[in-house]
Amino acid sequence: MTKFLSLFRRSTGSRELRRQPLFTGMSWLVLVFLYAPIAVLVVFSFNDNRSVVRWTEFSLRWYAAALENDDIRRSAMISIQVALTATIFSTVIATMAALATTRGGVYRGRAAAIALINQPLMIPEIVTAIATLAFFSILRQLTGVTGIGWLILAHTVFCVPFAYMPIRARLSDMSVTYEAAAADLYASPWQAFRHVTLPLLMPGVMAGAMLAFVVSLDDVIITLLVAGPGETTLPIYILGQIRRGVTPEVNAVSTILIGLTVAMVTLTFFLQRKQK
Amino acid sequence: MIDVKHVTKRFGEGQTAVTALRDISLTIPEGSFFTLLGPSGCGKTTLLRLIAGFELPTEGEITLDGDSIGHLAPNNRPVNTVFQSYALFPHMSVARNVGFGLEMLKRPKAEIEATIHEMLELVQLGEFASRRVDQLSGGQQQRVALARALAPRPKVLLLDEPLSALDLKLRKGMQSELKRLQNETGITFVFVTHDQSEALAMSDQIAVMSAGAVRQVGTPEEIYTAPQSRFVADFIGDTNIVSATLLGFEGDKASIRFGEGTPLTVQTASTSLKPGAVHVALRPETIDVVDEGADRALLRGAVVDSTYFGAGSQMLVRLDDGVAVLVQVATPRAIGARVGLECDTSMLHVLED
Ligand SMILES: Nc1ncnc2c1ncn2[C@@H]1O[C@H](COP(=O)(O)OP(=O)(O)OP(=O)(O)O)[C@@H](O)[C@H]1O
Ligand SMILES: [Mg+2]
Repeated sequence: MTKFLSLFRRSTGSRELRRQPLFTGMSWLVLVFLYAPIAVLVVFSFNDNRSVVRWTEFSLRWYAAALENDDIRRSAMISIQVALTATIFSTVIATMAALATTRGGVYRGRAAAIALINQPLMIPEIVTAIATLAFFSILRQLTGVTGIGWLILAHTVFCVPFAYMPIRARLSDMSVTYEAAAADLYASPWQAFRHVTLPLLMPGVMAGAMLAFVVSLDDVIITLLVAGPGETTLPIYILGQIRRGVTPEVNAVSTILIGLTVAMVTLTFFLQRKQK
Repeated sequence: MIDVKHVTKRFGEGQTAVTALRDISLTIPEGSFFTLLGPSGCGKTTLLRLIAGFELPTEGEITLDGDSIGHLAPNNRPVNTVFQSYALFPHMSVARNVGFGLEMLKRPKAEIEATIHEMLELVQLGEFASRRVDQLSGGQQQRVALARALAPRPKVLLLDEPLSALDLKLRKGMQSELKRLQNETGITFVFVTHDQSEALAMSDQIAVMSAGAVRQVGTPEEIYTAPQSRFVADFIGDTNIVSATLLGFEGDKASIRFGEGTPLTVQTASTSLKPGAVHVALRPETIDVVDEGADRALLRGAVVDSTYFGAGSQMLVRLDDGVAVLVQVATPRAIGARVGLECDTSMLHVLED
């Protein structure tokens, strides 16, 4: 019986699954459809030709053109400004939320609080976008305040759950004994946080911040609805250009964005591996 | 000196409340090696956490040198802990770990440096100062944890089963090392263990605990030779516990009788026991084996087992009432033989239940 079971287990084990022709084929198909378009985009951003379908020669001219384009530069600056500010705010808020939900003891409504923080991840972004738009126009009218602050606020809010996830994961893996030991050695609650909890939490905070930064940098839907005039971010600019057809310039900008995102995600990955 | 006065600790409320400590009173003398000994779940860690300040007592008071400390936060008590898991800060060097307490107390840099050096020498880890803590062996981490807890010169050092993660050989070494550190520093050590031989070997005083209560406090010798209750006698081990009938008291002695034998006058843990069936402690080394018919025999039974152990043999005798008794003899009797047991009646001892 056990022999039979072990045979069964071996035949369905992951090792064998990998050799199933159908499974392997599907995986390749998915990978090709996922990465081939990106590869094409990257390749043609280096094409010395206005066409985005016919390759002629390697050139960096579209990068030069993109960097000299005032609209691109302006929208890139806005993107970075919004993403950086939103990242800082959302990471601070997420860190405090993670501390409250893992170090505040067991209190009524803790599970509800965690669900409430994570729930925005499940709500379709278009719904959040429309709700934010409606709510913000009321606020704008009531307060009379205008400016890029509203866009930053919107980004901060939707970045919080992304920043929260890795920070909370790190905190709940971290033994409370370290904090107890710090308190035992005469550290006030603030000193214990500053010298023990925060340094140990740092990889989680960095991972959370990078996720938030990437999410903010890439956002289209909410930005599209909330951004006021003169607050065009890079993705919105690209979207506008695309309506008039894909240009190599757009390819170049997109490639820079991809490079940035990949760098961030890789860094996050290594930060999270380092703590193991 | 630590005074624990009528301390009760309950976790939770209402139906699900757990009483971890029930009206405990203890005095821990200054400069002593004091051990809390008891089976798992009896409340040793809870008592230690109350002294450290990680928990607050539900009722009662804890004083240190006369000052009430029961309500203070851990960082305001001159008490340091060696955690069972060591809890060394993984992002700091060995030296910074050791200096952490003084750094938090904002002592001058020079003093911190000097103390780190002195403490690392004390635990024989001088050359490891700049190592990361995850580059140390378990035994070395243990000693860093000790140095870190001793560096701020606390009035009291709490140790929660600090040796249980070490293998036997390392453990023996650390036992004498701990004794030495306690002697050299003169700091009061409160040590938790559930290993009675460790407790007997190391302590100035032992408090034996069970189910949230202190059953007996005394020197290792007192606990070993004069256990007050069946629980303590049983827990310390290899004491025989036999049944007898209590006839009454004569001053601070008890008059008992085994079966239908002659009345004997023996020591007793309490003079408030009710006459009737009681339990009596009987140390194996005080028993002599005699012929069954001998007048001197107090108890009678049959040999059921015997084990040779170099210096002599250990024989297991099953008494007529079914209780098994261990005795040490030079020459064992054959298995199955009927024997009588005689003993020095001054070593007999009536137990509380
Ligand atoms: N935070 C807590 N919440 C609820 N019950 C607790 C808590 N801490 C301890 N207890 C209970 O209190 C009792 C005593 O626990 P404690 O940890 O003091 O035992 P111990 O003597 O240290 O045991 P061990 O030798 O296993 O470490 C146990 O029944 C335990 O379940
Ligand atoms: Mg314990």
